[in-house]
Amino acid sequence: MTIVPKRLGVKFSLKQQPTLQPEDILPIFQRWIQDHSIDGMLIDVIDYKHVPDGPGIVLIADEFDLAYDLSDGEIGLYYVRKRELPDTLKEALRLVISRALAAARALEAEAPGDIEFYYRSAKISFLDRIHYRNEPEIFEAIRSIMTETLGGIFGINVEVARQYDDPRAVFALRCTAESANFDIEALIARLDASLQSA
Amino acid sequence: MTTWKEILKDEIPPEMGKLIDTYEAQMELRKQGKLDEKVFAEARLRKGVYGQRYDNGQRHDGVRTRDLAFPSGEAVKGPDTLWDAPGMQRIKIPYGGLTAEQLEVLSELADEYSDGILHITTRQDIQLHYVHIDDTPDLMRRLAAVGITTQEACGNSVRNITACTLAGVCHDEVFDVSPYADAMTQFLLNHDDVQDFGRKFKVAFSGCAGHACGLVMMHDLGLLAQTREIDGITVRGFTVYVGGGLGTVPHQAKVLAEFCTEEELLPLTQAVARVFARLGEKKNRNRARIKFLVSKLGIEEFRREVEEELKIVPHDNRHTAYIDTLSEFTYKPAKAGMALNGATLREGFVEWYRTNVYRQVQSGYSTITLNTPLGDFTAQQGFQLANIARRYVGDNIRLSVEQNVILRWVADADLPAIYRDLCSIGLGDANAGAIVDITACPGTDTCKLGIASSRGLTAELRTRLLEKINQLPDAVRELKIKVSGCFNSCGQHHVADIGFFGNSRRSGNHKMPHFQVVLGGQWQQNAGSYGLAVGAVPARRVPEVLEALTERYVAERGEGENFQTWVKDLGRKEIKAMLQPYMKLPSFEEKPGYFSDWGDSRVYTIDDIGVGECAGEVVSLFSMEISKAESTQFEALIALDDGDYRLADEQAYKAMVMAARALVRTKNLDVGDDYDIIVDEFRSRFYDTELIYDRFAKGKFARYLFKRHEGLPDRINEDYAHQIIDETQLFIENVHTAEQRINGVIVG
Repeated sequence: MTIVPKRLGVKFSLKQQPTLQPEDILPIFQRWIQDHSIDGMLIDVIDYKHVPDGPGIVLIADEFDLAYDLSDGEIGLYYVRKRELPDTLKEALRLVISRALAAARALEAEAPGDIEFYYRSAKISFLDRIHYRNEPEIFEAIRSIMTETLGGIFGINVEVARQYDDPRAVFALRCTAESANFDIEALIARLDASLQSA
Repeated sequence: MTTWKEILKDEIPPEMGKLIDTYEAQMELRKQGKLDEKVFAEARLRKGVYGQRYDNGQRHDGVRTRDLAFPSGEAVKGPDTLWDAPGMQRIKIPYGGLTAEQLEVLSELADEYSDGILHITTRQDIQLHYVHIDDTPDLMRRLAAVGITTQEACGNSVRNITACTLAGVCHDEVFDVSPYADAMTQFLLNHDDVQDFGRKFKVAFSGCAGHACGLVMMHDLGLLAQTREIDGITVRGFTVYVGGGLGTVPHQAKVLAEFCTEEELLPLTQAVARVFARLGEKKNRNRARIKFLVSKLGIEEFRREVEEELKIVPHDNRHTAYIDTLSEFTYKPAKAGMALNGATLREGFVEWYRTNVYRQVQSGYSTITLNTPLGDFTAQQGFQLANIARRYVGDNIRLSVEQNVILRWVADADLPAIYRDLCSIGLGDANAGAIVDITACPGTDTCKLGIASSRGLTAELRTRLLEKINQLPDAVRELKIKVSGCFNSCGQHHVADIGFFGNSRRSGNHKMPHFQVVLGGQWQQNAGSYGLAVGAVPARRVPEVLEALTERYVAERGEGENFQTWVKDLGRKEIKAMLQPYMKLPSFEEKPGYFSDWGDSRVYTIDDIGVGECAGEVVSLFSMEISKAESTQFEALIALDDGDYRLADEQAYKAMVMAARALVRTKNLDVGDDYDIIVDEFRSRFYDTELIYDRFAKGKFARYLFKRHEGLPDRINEDYAHQIIDETQLFIENVHTAEQRINGVIVG
């Protein structure tokens, strides 16, 4: 199972509840559009904070959606790549993790000490029910590829488990590194280098 | 790679599958530049595939207007509408009725093609936003596999047919209008007589005159349930209203027929559609709704036209066949009805019960309204809601025009449990239908026509009102607020106690977002009267205005006096005087915050307003039909590439007949679908008269059609398939040329 899903997402959750409220994120995302603060063709910002457990504040781009996400009871940054995914799952994962990390670091820089992400764990979503139904067999088919690929990316062992039991839900994996002993900046640089050489 | 088309091929009704295949072929033709952008835009709109704000490739970021460099460059899906720009998919949910399975599929689609949010519209549709056009054929196939269509969800066609959400469970209804709404939906869908309108056409059913639910008075065609004693037998029927509508110029509907029987309902509707298609405005879209035609002719003359038309409406078995199936339209509750049985009640239950629960006419059952903020819920909530539905109500889910989810047939004994379960998924809020349950159109969030942020204002008002809801007097709690982002009334501001619609004013060198205040509209009596615009205030001051209005209403209202009466008694002049202090325009330097809209930190601009697609493209019936012939010919080419020569022949032949039919229908709208009749009509009207003749080839191309219509050759092989496809191409070109040449003669 190495098919690149139609959409691939990564969510990093916050370490703790920030003082910054979701409505404070909206002007930040708007400014990112003005300043081209992150890569991509940024289009608009949409406010869904009125929806319980929803996508919160979403920065819409042509290639991705970036949500200050309130789902699963965890505030986090959820990067979903919609278009221009690489041809292999390994490269797609590298791209999506790299972009999600970069966006997370950019948001941390907006509120140092208040917004801090927990990088040791991430949710990886395969938004493609034609190839990735949320079933145990799919998980078993992809498990070793994911641990191997993510281990390669993070440079340490990574455990993967299914995020949701509901077969109708998006196929998503909870990925947890065995330690927090890795340098995010170095990881981003390494991923960027590998993407450029690909 | 596996595709949805392959996976679902046995689950999609063939007719629906063909329509989607045709649309997909039209997409391909447009990409190749072989289909006119206006024709494709209308074809796309009729599939519910709508444009969104910024799809012209420009967006003001608060400092300057920037180009959005979409990957497909200048490729367009309509005039000034870039191919790659995210769009909106509108999905028709007739009378708002959904099954649990359908809700699950809709949720899957929101996850995979949209932004994870399902939005309920004021016409009981579902909308998904930020959808890429390339995803729409698969999205439609997945819907079709569970019996949902997007066909004619937008464009100049019959939009989603709405009905009371309490139909079938209501204490006051004359009878359940749901099966009639269902029958009319099926009858009008893709019907030949609804393909040539100058604008959209909205139909609504209501079970009673007194309540709001059906809103028949604000519809192009409104059907109000009635019964009459005829020869000692109680006969079901409808009072038929026509020519109502909101928009920039609201009209109350007029009575077309005091009583039409079940047997007369569909033919009468068809006659109205034919009159609208024949006499309605086609060039000036601002006056193309049927309300303008009714107003221009007068209801008496319009009625006469309809009666004359009714005499020549072709016989159709479907006009009455549906009556035999009405008794099959039944509801299957998940559980037997049972009274509340003393179960422990969770905190908040009593208030929720007071505001969100309606005791059905059926003993032991209730209908509950899920207060769905701004009409939005997540895909995850959709799945959970499907679970709750299966557990408590089965497939008895509806969507309301007030943008809420409705669960019907809840056994009363289950109310505490369902309340608990709804709270656990964030849908257990009380105050459904109350002042906090505000209706709003998409406004500047996504609509190309939006002037001010209707959703931003709504979210703000909702938050503020919720903070003090328990302190509000009942007279205020019960008020209705509705917000539109512009004067086009998608938020139905005319029929609210307090309505707002977006506009703008200039202060110095800056524009300031404003909302016009509209007071005293009537939601009850099927939207019985419209409110009055009393003045525009800066968007940022609307919460203060609301507070001032409601406080004064509470202080001054007489015993039992409602808001409409109070507004009328107070008078427009006095109300204007009350608003005056809020209407003052500060300078940018004094109040910079006033120059950004609710929920948007950018400095306000109206530069992002685009050309709306709401009206669709006014494209001739011939253009629409010939484009379908072309896409069928394209499918023949694909079959040829796949080595399926028999299918290639079938599609090519069909494309020729469709092209001939397109031309015939400019003379005879009722030619029907029978190939023999179409070819005969084509021959007598265009071949025998030499109207189809090419200057050099004379009748040669037409004879390609006649030859194939006479029968298949002995052998169907690759050479033959090539040949008939080439002939089809030539024939379609011949029809195009002939139509252009004789257009003035046959159409004018």
